[in-house]
Formats: sequence, structure tokens, C-alpha cells
Amino acid sequence: MLSYLLLSGISTGAIYALVALGIVLVYKATGTINFAHGDQLMIAGFLAWTLHVGLGLPYLVAMAGAVAGGFVLGALAERIGFRAVLRGNLVNVVLATLGLAFVLKGVARLTWGGISDYLAFPPLVPPDPIIIGDIILLPQQLVVTAGALAVMGAFALFFRFTTMGKAMQATADNPKAARLVGIRVENIHMLAFAVGSAVAGAGAALMAPVTLLYPDIGFMLFIKGFAAAVLGGLTSLPGALLGGLAIGVVEALAGGYIDSSAIEVSAFVAIMATLILRPRGLLGGPPPRRA
Amino acid sequence: MSARPETLLTRLMPRPIWVGLVAAALLAVLAPQANSYLLFVANQLCIYVILAVGLNLLVGYTGQLAFAHAALFGIGAYGTALLKVHFGLPFIVTLPAGALLATVVGLAISLPALRLTGLYLTLATLAFAQFTLWVFLHWEGVTFGAGGFRVPRPDWLLPGLSPDVGSFALALLLAIVMTLAAASLVRSNTGRAMIAVRDGEVAAEALGIDLLRTKATAFGLSAFYAGTAGGLQALMLGYVAPESFDLFHMALMKAMIVVGGMGSIVGSVIGAGAVLFLLEGLRAFKGAQEIAFGLLLMGAVIFFPRGVAGWLQALPGWAERYLRTAPPPAPEPDAVPEEAKP
Repeated sequence: MLSYLLLSGISTGAIYALVALGIVLVYKATGTINFAHGDQLMIAGFLAWTLHVGLGLPYLVAMAGAVAGGFVLGALAERIGFRAVLRGNLVNVVLATLGLAFVLKGVARLTWGGISDYLAFPPLVPPDPIIIGDIILLPQQLVVTAGALAVMGAFALFFRFTTMGKAMQATADNPKAARLVGIRVENIHMLAFAVGSAVAGAGAALMAPVTLLYPDIGFMLFIKGFAAAVLGGLTSLPGALLGGLAIGVVEALAGGYIDSSAIEVSAFVAIMATLILRPRGLLGGPPPRRA
Repeated sequence: MSARPETLLTRLMPRPIWVGLVAAALLAVLAPQANSYLLFVANQLCIYVILAVGLNLLVGYTGQLAFAHAALFGIGAYGTALLKVHFGLPFIVTLPAGALLATVVGLAISLPALRLTGLYLTLATLAFAQFTLWVFLHWEGVTFGAGGFRVPRPDWLLPGLSPDVGSFALALLLAIVMTLAAASLVRSNTGRAMIAVRDGEVAAEALGIDLLRTKATAFGLSAFYAGTAGGLQALMLGYVAPESFDLFHMALMKAMIVVGGMGSIVGSVIGAGAVLFLLEGLRAFKGAQEIAFGLLLMGAVIFFPRGVAGWLQALPGWAERYLRTAPPPAPEPDAVPEEAKP
């Protein structure tokens, strides 16, 4: 029981960690939060569904489509939700991206289904559980976890070794100095939104076969990802991974030992407790300098 | 606005308070004559005005970006209705009790507010809102779960007053009183302290303003407004369900104050009207409603960050004496001189 709960918690948590990664990335680069992040993920998931189920393309093509769709949506969010109000305050950025979130949700509802419509995504691997001793492994969860870890690994490599990744790090560290050495800070802002959203797109394609797709999933995942990001420390990328896994495991344990309805609420209780006891999160440093 | 020359036009221009009172008087006379749908809309308008004014006190004047308003609205509605249903208390008791319950909860969540600023506060209140919604949905023995429940309509003291007209009259009266109270509050010491906290916490503290007390006052007042509006909502509909207090309604309330104007009492009233108008126009289309409000919120923040109140302020003679919008942020000095840019 415990091992099963832990494993399923880790696989849910891996998805949360992918969402949190994008949130942390945007926060480090711009000092703001993109409230449309979850809804971009949701749209990318529906894009993957259309490519895979609707058009019958292979799964990997659908996943690439979701990543590309996420990238474009992220860039768009930066343009309308952030650049237009860059010199404004945090309140304005939050409200503008919140508006964008509702537009995306409404578009999804009109395009892919109404309030209680759920779209099923076919499983990638046969659903038979693998049993090793006392431990039950669901192949689908293993695929999701491995996929999420692979995406995070690719992201870490991008951040550390490519020029773009280094430019993003430099901008996050000190926007003025980055500008002085010739980095176009505006482009980095857009890139942060776009890459964050592309990672979320990958997460959406990974998660779709396990959860189901519906328009309201976006904001729910955004809150979980936001919670994971804050739990890990809003400025720390490893913290996002840790926070995501922690929230996933807490949810699974609450669902297994308390009540299945406690799953959704445990994350909120955990985050309220974190904010009161340790607002900086597990690995967080001081907030970044504003651009 | 004393810098403007006094002309005949500016002297004839009515003060915001008179425009508002005349509009309220017209509403009081006309709405009960109209059909029941228009009466419902007028009633809803009064409730939204209370909500928007309360939210503006917290977000527009004190600068605390909290997302708990829909939940506090719900706590007011549930508190009012459940006391009536479970204990049979009359509305004259349960309505203030519901508002007080929302106030107490609002004060309680403001306790961590001194430690939490900006995005952390946003997340904490967002989590609180989702938690409240979960309680409404799952504490079925008390809240009757997802389906909601009916509340018996009250008998009014005056004979011949139908429940609809009675609840409208009460909502209108409270909307007028609470709007005027807020308008005078923001000119008081407390109101000025709230504005100072919004414009710079360190500077406000240096002036001797008690941050915790000011924020807690704003939270409590805002929660009281939300709770009162919730009680009136239960009274008007005779029905309470959790879906009326979800994130979409939170976004609606944000749209009200952004469209009307952050940091403006007149703006809150106008914004509430504008949002209600759009909401009723799109009632049949849920997806289109979300798109319309998303666009409205985005467009207002990007193109008219000062809202309708900003336009009104540009009219000659229209001086909302209570208007305190944030000054436009000064452009940051650029690290690269203009001529050195590529």
C-alpha cells in the first residue's frame, strides 16, 4: 500500500514539477508569475489529443506538436500579458495573465468540449501492472515519471550548456549587467515564457493518457504547480522538482490514508502551512531583482 | 484638482456623489415597477456594487493582491443561509452573523499577511479560496454538497412587500450606505494609511503606520463587504450552491475593479454595472462568457489601466475627491544610453 501510494505520488508529482519548472523559470527571468501557465498546458494537451486521436499521428509527433504549441502560446502570453504591462506593477501582470487564462479556457470549452466533457487519451503502454515482490508498478506511471525526468534533464542541459540558456541565467542573475554584455533582455523574457510553456506542453502530452483532458484542468494544475514552486522556493529549479514531488506524494498519502476527497485539498493545506511556517520554501533564496 | 481654472462648465458639473444618489433614487423608484427579471438585475447590481467596493478597498487602495474574495462572498452566503436552515433563525440575525463570520475569517487569513507579500499572499489566498470551495463541496452534512440547497424566503415586516422587492430594497439601502462609508473611509486617516501601504510599505512604516493593523483593517473591512454581499445574494436567490463562488467569479470581481478603476469608489460602482451588463448579455454561452471576461480583464489592464474612473477624471469639473490611483511608475533609467542602442 505505502509503496504503491509513494510511486503513484511520485508520478503525479513529476507532472507538477514540470508545471512548477515553467513557473520558476518565468519568475527568475521576470519577477512575475504567468497565471495563464496552466491553461497554456491545457491547450497544448488538447493539441496533442487532436494530433494523436483526431488525426491519427504517432504519439511522439503529437508530443512535439504540444511542445511547439506550448512554445508559441508562451511567447504570446509574454507579448500580451507581460510586455504590454512591463512597466506596470505586479498586480497588472497577474490580472492580465489571469484574463488570458480565462480566454484560453473559453476557447478550449468552445473547441474541445463543455463543462462536463472529458476527452480520453489512449494509453501508451499496456495497462497490466508489473509486480515485483510486494511492489505493484503501473507501466503508465513509469512512463510518465521517466518522461518527466527526461524533459527535466534536457532542460537542465539546455540551461547549462547552450548560449541561450546561459543568457537566461545571466538575465535572471542581473538584468542590467546582462544588458551591458549585449544580451537582449526583452528577448530573454519572451524566451523564458515560451520555454516554460513548452515544458508544460511536454508535461501535458505525458499526463494526458493518465488523467483525462478537460478545460478546467489547466487552472487546477497551475495552482498545484504554483504551490510546488513556492514549496521548493520560488527561485530554485531543483526546488521546483522537490516541491512537485513533495506535493504529489502528500496528495497520494492523503488520498490513501484519509479519504479520496482529501486528495484535492491536501495540496492547499500543505501550501498554506508552508507559507505560514517557511515562506521562502525549502531551497529558496532571496527574490530576484526586477528587470 | 484645484489647479484647474474654475469655469461655468466645471461649476455646473455634478459631483460624483449626486450622480450616484440620483441614479440610486431612480433605481429605487423604477425597479419595483419593472418586470421580475429587471428587478433581479437591479438587485444583483446592488450586491455587485458592495462586492466591488469591498474588493477595491483591499486591492485598489491597500495594494494587497488577494484572491479570497469569492470565498468570503461564499462564506457570507453560506453563513447566512445555513443559520437559517439549520437553526431557523430569522434573517435579521443571520445576515449580520454571516457578514461577521466572513469578517472573522478575513481577519484570520490576514494574520499571515504581514509576513507574506506580493505573490506569496496571492498564492496563500488562492489556496484558501480552493480550500473553502472544497469545504462547501464535501462537508455534506452541513453544506449539502455540490447540489446546493434552498433557503426559505423571509417575511418582511411591511405588509404588501413581496420577497423580491423587499430584498431589493434592503440590498439597495446597504449598497448606498456601504458605498458612502467606503468613500468617506478612504479620505480618513485609515484610508490614507492604506494608500501609503500600497505605495510603499517601507516608507509607510517609516511614517509610523502600523502595517499589520492597516492590512488587517483592509482585509477585515473587505471581508465584511463580501460577507454582507453574500448574505444578500442568499436572500435574493433563496438558493445557495458552491459554483457561485468559484474562480470564475473571482475573475469577475477582479474585472469589476479593473474596468471601473483601481483605487476609485466611483469606478467600483461603474465596474460592477459594466460587468453585470456583460454577464447578463452572455448568460446563455458559458465559453463565450469566459472569453469575453478574459478579454475585458486583459484589455482593461493593458489599454486603460486607470479604468473608467481615469476617463471621468479627465472631464472638466468631475473631481472624484476620493480618487487615489497609483501614480504612473517612473520609467527606470536604462543601462544602455539611447544613442548606444543598435
